[in-house]
Amino acid sequence: MKAQMTTAAGNGTVASVRVWDVPVRVFHWLLVISFGAAYLLGDSERWRQIHVMFGYTVLGLIAFRILWGFVGTRYARFTSFLHGPRAALRYVGSLASRKPEHHVGHNPAGSWAVYAMLALGVATGLSGYLTLNEFGGDAVEELHEILANTWLVVVFVHVAGVIASSVAHRENLARAMLTGYKRGDGESIRASVSSPRRPIVGVLLASAVLIFWLGSLLIGGPTIIERSSQATMAQTAEDDDD
Amino acid sequence: MNMSTRMIGSLATAAVATAVLATAAIAGTDVQSALLAQWRVDAGQEFSAARGRALFERRANDWSCSSCHTADPRATGRHVVTEKSIRPLAPASNPRRFTDRTKVEKWFRRNCNDVLNRDCTALEKGDVLTYLVSLK
Ligand code: HEC
Ligand code: HEM
Repeated sequence: MKAQMTTAAGNGTVASVRVWDVPVRVFHWLLVISFGAAYLLGDSERWRQIHVMFGYTVLGLIAFRILWGFVGTRYARFTSFLHGPRAALRYVGSLASRKPEHHVGHNPAGSWAVYAMLALGVATGLSGYLTLNEFGGDAVEELHEILANTWLVVVFVHVAGVIASSVAHRENLARAMLTGYKRGDGESIRASVSSPRRPIVGVLLASAVLIFWLGSLLIGGPTIIERSSQATMAQTAEDDDD
Repeated sequence: MNMSTRMIGSLATAAVATAVLATAAIAGTDVQSALLAQWRVDAGQEFSAARGRALFERRANDWSCSSCHTADPRATGRHVVTEKSIRPLAPASNPRRFTDRTKVEKWFRRNCNDVLNRDCTALEKGDVLTYLVSLK
């Protein structure tokens, strides 16, 4: 059902089509923040609880995304980006050619990055949870770091891919993940009746994450400050004895 | 390649592999003394258990090593932030300590940064390990 068909021909403007729904965009940027923060804070005992907070956020976000991959709008669904490895290679090869393949939703190589990142996210989060609760010992602890580092590598590959595709298609794909619009004449998610847009879901997702962060900081923050000031006071008392 | 060269090849590979494994096993049996020897070279100075103890108990900013590992490293520690218990650090009460080089280096790096906001020097690590080993 193509309710709205815009093409470059005719009026001279480049057609754009709404591809990424609000929940997908909210998910994407919250995941960037949570992964980055968890990664940067992972190596410190001082920030351990905040690290764990961002780690749980990652797990929650990915759980949502997997669900949304089945019930979300057109281009958010896994069925819209099930591409084989050969398709991915062909796509990467076409980027260097004069006429690179263009896909309205995820391109075949990008799809693989998405699947890899979802899987690594789940595995990293679970191994962190096991480490925190001391199931599995040093081996799981090592595994947690290896998974986090592997994920970082995939993130770099993903970003490199976005840059390469953006250059090849002369289209800023990072901005598309902000605005939701990509160039093309595919079916807009706005117009699709079979999968209506549900921005409210994105708003709910963002609220849930913010409430979780505020709650964690309000409950955890003061205790951290209080405990370290107790330690300082104990030290001052010792100094006075000298 | 004929049969005999191939056989000599695999024999040589097996011999090298055995040698490597044997060396690793011997090195692994005494991680503590290997670490001390290496740090000793880097520090260019003898280690002192007294200095190690002082470092262990000295508070920098708000924490010292004993904030989590307690003033008696033979006792079970308690994480100041997460309040989770930490198994004793002194090998006398926890023989699994200092048996894995990567683990030792990782936690020195992490905990020194937590407490001192910098890495510990080879001398500091050697002093602390000497102190911990001296506890009976
Ligand atoms: C915020 C709490 C905390 C502080 C402060 C702290 N540690 Fe630790 N330390 C830990 C935890 C947690 C572990 C790992 C737990 C385990 O292996 O059982 C650990 C492990 C270690 C190990 C690993 C030993 C091994 O090979 O198993 C060493 C060495 C160590 N700490 C030294 C220090 C030194 C030196 C200081 C002071 C500069 C210090 N720690 C301060 C929490 C702390
Ligand atoms: C999913 C996103 C996560 C990322 C990217 C991540 C990343 C990391 C990194 C990079 C480290 C330290 C590595 C180093 O030593 O340099 C670390 C340590 C740790 N993480 Fe995570 N982590 C995540 C999720 C979690 C979760 C969900 C938990 C707990 C529920 C958790 C608990 C821990 C703990 C306890 C450590 C310390 C491990 C140790 O004892 O060495 N992490 N993490």
